[in-house]
Amino acid sequence: MSDTARAQRFASVALPHLDAAYGFARRLTRNESEAQDVTQEAFLRAWRYFETFRGADARPWLLSIVRNTFMSQRQARGAPMADLEDADTALDTVLAGTEALARIPQTPEKALLEADARRSVMAALDTLPQTAREVLVLREIEDLSYKRIATILDVPIGTVMSRLARARAALAAEIRRRAEDG
Amino acid sequence: MMEMDCATCEAQIDAYADGELSADVAVALERALPGCPRCQQRLDEARLLRNALRQAPSPQAPADLRAAIMAALPASDDSATVAAMPRRVQPARRDTLRWAAGIVLALGAGWTAGRYLPLPIGPDATREVIDGYLRVTAGERLVEVASSDRHTVKPWFGGRVAYAPPVHDLTTDGFPLAGGRVDVIDGRKTAVLVYQRNRHVIALFLWPDAEGQSLRREVRDGFGLRRWSRAGFVFHAIADLPLSDLDRFAAALDARLDAER
Repeated sequence: MSDTARAQRFASVALPHLDAAYGFARRLTRNESEAQDVTQEAFLRAWRYFETFRGADARPWLLSIVRNTFMSQRQARGAPMADLEDADTALDTVLAGTEALARIPQTPEKALLEADARRSVMAALDTLPQTAREVLVLREIEDLSYKRIATILDVPIGTVMSRLARARAALAAEIRRRAEDG
Repeated sequence: MMEMDCATCEAQIDAYADGELSADVAVALERALPGCPRCQQRLDEARLLRNALRQAPSPQAPADLRAAIMAALPASDDSATVAAMPRRVQPARRDTLRWAAGIVLALGAGWTAGRYLPLPIGPDATREVIDGYLRVTAGERLVEVASSDRHTVKPWFGGRVAYAPPVHDLTTDGFPLAGGRVDVIDGRKTAVLVYQRNRHVIALFLWPDAEGQSLRREVRDGFGLRRWSRAGFVFHAIADLPLSDLDRFAAALDARLDAER
């Protein structure tokens, strides 16, 4: 393929997913400027590895590159990666004390349905560890299958499932906590 | 028939909410659910969370990020490209320059042609189509060009979308054409034809797709949705109508499309 044809194909395949890529980067970085850095670098990488892209839907492929870019940029800056090393422990820590898994709240719907909660759901999401944020974005916002998510996160499907269950419980607990505080 | 106890049921609730269970397990779970308030609650909660996340305003790539990625585009020589690519990129990176140069060519020469290529839109255009329908019905005007005359509506799309959508008035079939408008689906400008059925509004999103999409009918958020392919286009019809009405609508349209060939 000529460079021109390649670039043309790249633009048409990848650019429509810019918002999705940026949205994912925003939740990973929790920082607007860093999210822009990650997204731009990811698109450069995507261009470089365009030959490795197979299939019809570039979105999971790009999201995977966004995540890899985020991880390597963090690593390059010497940011602690313990968050992921002890990913599932971290999630348990978040859940500890909330007893979210054990108790049946009286009115779970109410807190979740309130307009304020809806507006602040992203803020609640941002308080969770990375493992919870990424699995929730990929599943709930990007609507990807367990299999796709497992590929992006490079973990077995069973791990996706258990993380997702914990992440949902953690997010529900956080929303509830905010509703009760406020 | 598979029986399911509560512990099994609870362990499967998330996968069920995510549509990841095989049909037989899903059926068993649905049978077990009524006797299992705790599982039902977890299911409700998972769905509420999903809605909350999907309805939350999602961040859009800021204009200057899009511009930074596109900034490489209009530049024609290396130095301009490097200047246009902001601090985030190391200028020495050869790939950057090739990327930039390649896209300059693509956009200069082949962009328009490229937009005519059958570009697959992601498999889940459904959500975007629903959003598009809400935009159609939320505004004061259903359409940007109001006419039941296909010879008015079809040329109107020229220059607005990068393809010539087939336009047919279906008044004699009970679906008068109200007009057309342009929406953005998956980041691409898309032609939308608006039809009426009594007091209901049907929006028809259509774009070229040589590969063809399998027929899909579903009810989501209370809207009937029908996706099908015909004559080199993929159609998404959506309305606050039962699927049987959309089937009739599609049959009427298909007949016109076939007659035109």
